[in-house]
Amino acid sequence: MTKLLEVENLTKAFGGLIAVNGLSFVVSPGEVLGLIGPNGSGKTTLLNLIAGTIRPDAGTIRMDGEDVTHLPNHLRVRKRINRTFQLARAPANMPVIGTVMAGVLYGAGERMRFKDAGYEAAGFLGELNLLTKADRRFDQLTYIEQKRAELARALATRPRVILLDEWLSGLSPSELEGGVSVVWSLAAQGLAVILVEHVLTAVRALCRRVIVMNAGSKIAEGRPDEVLRNAEVVRAYLGDEDA
Amino acid sequence: MAETAEDIRRRRNRTVVSIAALTLLVGALAAAPWLLSDYGLSFMINMVCYVVLTVAWALFSGTTRLVSLATSAFFGVGMYTVAMLIKVMPLYATFAVALAVGAALALVVGVLTLRISGMFFVIFGFGLSEMIRELTVWWEINQTHTMGRYVYVTFDAAMIYEHLLALAVIVFFIGWLLRRSRFGLGLLLIGEDEAVAQQVGINVPFAKVTIFIVSAVFITLSGALMAPRFGFINPNFAFNPLVSFVVVIMAFLGGLQRLWGPLLGVIPLTILSEVLQTEFPFWFSIFLGAVFMVIVYFLPRGVTGLLEDGWTALSRPLELPRGLTGPLREVWARLSRPIMLPRGIAGVIEDRWAKILPRPSEKR
Repeated sequence: MTKLLEVENLTKAFGGLIAVNGLSFVVSPGEVLGLIGPNGSGKTTLLNLIAGTIRPDAGTIRMDGEDVTHLPNHLRVRKRINRTFQLARAPANMPVIGTVMAGVLYGAGERMRFKDAGYEAAGFLGELNLLTKADRRFDQLTYIEQKRAELARALATRPRVILLDEWLSGLSPSELEGGVSVVWSLAAQGLAVILVEHVLTAVRALCRRVIVMNAGSKIAEGRPDEVLRNAEVVRAYLGDEDA
Repeated sequence: MAETAEDIRRRRNRTVVSIAALTLLVGALAAAPWLLSDYGLSFMINMVCYVVLTVAWALFSGTTRLVSLATSAFFGVGMYTVAMLIKVMPLYATFAVALAVGAALALVVGVLTLRISGMFFVIFGFGLSEMIRELTVWWEINQTHTMGRYVYVTFDAAMIYEHLLALAVIVFFIGWLLRRSRFGLGLLLIGEDEAVAQQVGINVPFAKVTIFIVSAVFITLSGALMAPRFGFINPNFAFNPLVSFVVVIMAFLGGLQRLWGPLLGVIPLTILSEVLQTEFPFWFSIFLGAVFMVIVYFLPRGVTGLLEDGWTALSRPLELPRGLTGPLREVWARLSRPIMLPRGIAGVIEDRWAKILPRPSEKR
């Protein structure tokens, strides 16, 4: 399989706390890679490092063979890496379509006129069933709509790697089913998806490969069923038997 | 979604009508020196100057939501540069130098203050203006042994007015462009949420510094244009901190959500300041403070917000009369609502700490 995103020996410490410790992995186009682990194991920090929100202390990140480790956040967006935030966030006072338009205009897609960007943005909202909410403010949307609006903003920049930070958490069973099929269709379009998730049913349904993190390190990697039976993983989640 | 031919025709008609109306308005304003008395003209100069300052201020602060109190710094730099150089070069050359100095200062200040936000940026702007004033005073006393400069040029009130008017037209045009452009949308997004702005691919520091320079250039130029208005200029006069505060209050009173919003603050406040300064010269600052409190407590969206609400109320279908109880009930509902106090400096500090030490539930 071809490699799209390569992460090598990535390390980040906050003071004395090593949040991500020498992590390496590879993601291919069309693959959904699951990233699981207990709270505080460094999953979100890892996403922040890949997205460029924070810089690593050591290690390299390569996108399509090109070293992007030292690029700032906005340039990684143009190198076609984008993400959603754990707590869906978008400007509260701007219509939803405004943020998506900004994504179209500033992202990695072709340059276009301001007005055409509006039509393009409407298309992205339409794909996520949000067209009728295009002129609402972000805080007027429901929880699931906010999550979809945020994904529309990320997709508008035409990413090839998308990082979803607990994008499927907190949904009802039927909403979860819809969410899973959205992620599925992203992978089917050839995007590489990195999925940080606590909802294990979704991880089982979507991922053929899972990385388990604990205290900043990778403790297991493999197919979801095998990995979740792994003794060390069970210990990381549930604690020692005699504890 | 495509436009029909009818839509395009209608839009074109609207454009033609609005361009014609604006041309008429600007034409009428440009004729003012021949229509008005000397006193009327000096009033108009004052007003157009504040229009330029306020709209230019709003270009930066209205979009990025960073309140700048550096207006008087740039205004003073413009004015004092002209005053210092008027004896060694032609007037228009001094304007050009003032523009360059203002832009350079804005670049340095912009780059230095990139990481400063909220309250700290406000204080920095104020401090900058005071610092430049003190430095200029020091320079004039110790190096040039002068305390003030005479500006005698053949650049009369009518010329000043026409130039300021041209500047106002340009600054409005830029504001208009920003509202329908990629760059303007990017600035709005920065004002709303910088993390999201970065995540759509906006170069946040670059955009902020760029618009800060654009805004500062207009403020500097209007200061430069005002220099010939006063025969004698000293640093304390040029770098008057009141200018910064007046501009902020005018902009907030008018409202920032529309391009023409600041006008609704500039016009009434210039008229009132004129009246107060002739009748009760020492009351202007007190009055300004009162206006600011009224804005904070009752008019958070400015006069523009009031007009917008009025318009929606008027265009709403009429409801059946509810008799006397209707208004009474509304008054009661308003009275029983809890009063929202602004959170003041303490709130800003709280937010700051929350950023540094996120609450455990947000970390995960």
